Amino acid sequence: MKFSIVIHGAPWSANASLSALRFTEAALDCGHEIVRLFFYQDGASNGSSLCVPPQDEIDIPGLWQALIKKHEIDAVVCAASALKRGIIDKAEADRYEKNVESLLAGFSVSGLGQLIDACGQSDRVVSFVM
Amino acid sequence: MPSSPQTHTAHSYLIIARSSPYGSHQARAALDLALTAAAFEQKVSIVFMDAGVMQLLKGQQTDAGEMKNIGKIITALKLYEVNRVMVHQESVDKHDLDPAGFVEAVEVVTSDDIKRLIAGADQVMVF
Repeated sequence: MKFSIVIHGAPWSANASLSALRFTEAALDCGHEIVRLFFYQDGASNGSSLCVPPQDEIDIPGLWQALIKKHEIDAVVCAASALKRGIIDKAEADRYEKNVESLLAGFSVSGLGQLIDACGQSDRVVSFVM
Repeated sequence: MPSSPQTHTAHSYLIIARSSPYGSHQARAALDLALTAAAFEQKVSIVFMDAGVMQLLKGQQTDAGEMKNIGKIITALKLYEVNRVMVHQESVDKHDLDPAGFVEAVEVVTSDDIKRLIAGADQVMVF
C-alpha cells in the first residue's frame, strides 16, 4: 500500500513526531511504500539541522534524517511553516540575507500543494497531530 | 526532489475544524488546507464542530497585522470553491449559539450526517 505521512508536531513538544517516525519504520518493514513525508506547522522543526539534544536524549530530527536517507524517502517541509520557524535552506538563506542555513540534508522545502499531490498519489494519508 | 503538484483525479476532502479560532494555529491551518485543496481543484468540504463552531461567530475583532481574522477567511471559502461549509448541530447547541449570529449562512448537519461524510470522503483531516 502507498502511504503518505503528515507530521504536525515539533520533535520534543508533542509525541506526534516520534509516533510518526515509528509508524513510518513499521510501514516500510511491512513492505509498504512511503510516497511522501510532509512536515506541517510545528512539524517543520523536525527538519532543523540546528537541534542539539542532550546526549542521553533521543535525536528525533537525526532519526528522521537517517530513515529518509536509508529509504530515499521524499521528505517535504511546508515552506510557510518552515520559514517562520527559522528552518531555511541555502536558497532561502541567501534570499532573506540570513547568515545560516538550517535545513537538514535530505529534506526539501516546498508548498502545501505537495500535500495535496501526496493525497492524490497515496492509498492512505496518515496524520500525526498530537 | 518533490514533484510539482500534478493533476490527479479530484479527491474528496473532509476537513474537520474542531479548534477555537485564536487559541492555537489549528483554525488557520484547517482553513489554509481547505483553500489550498480547493485551489488544486479538489472536492473540499469543511465542517465546524466542538470549539471550532466559535470560528463562525460574527464580530471577531482582530488587530490587523497581529493575526488574520478567521471569520473573514471563512466568508471567502465559497468564493474559492470549497464545496460545502457545514456546522455540527450538537456543537452549536452545546455552545448555546444561534446560527443567525454566524458570519454567513452555513449548512447545519447532525452527528449521523458527519459519520456518513467521513465514510464517504477520500481524505479526512482533523484540526
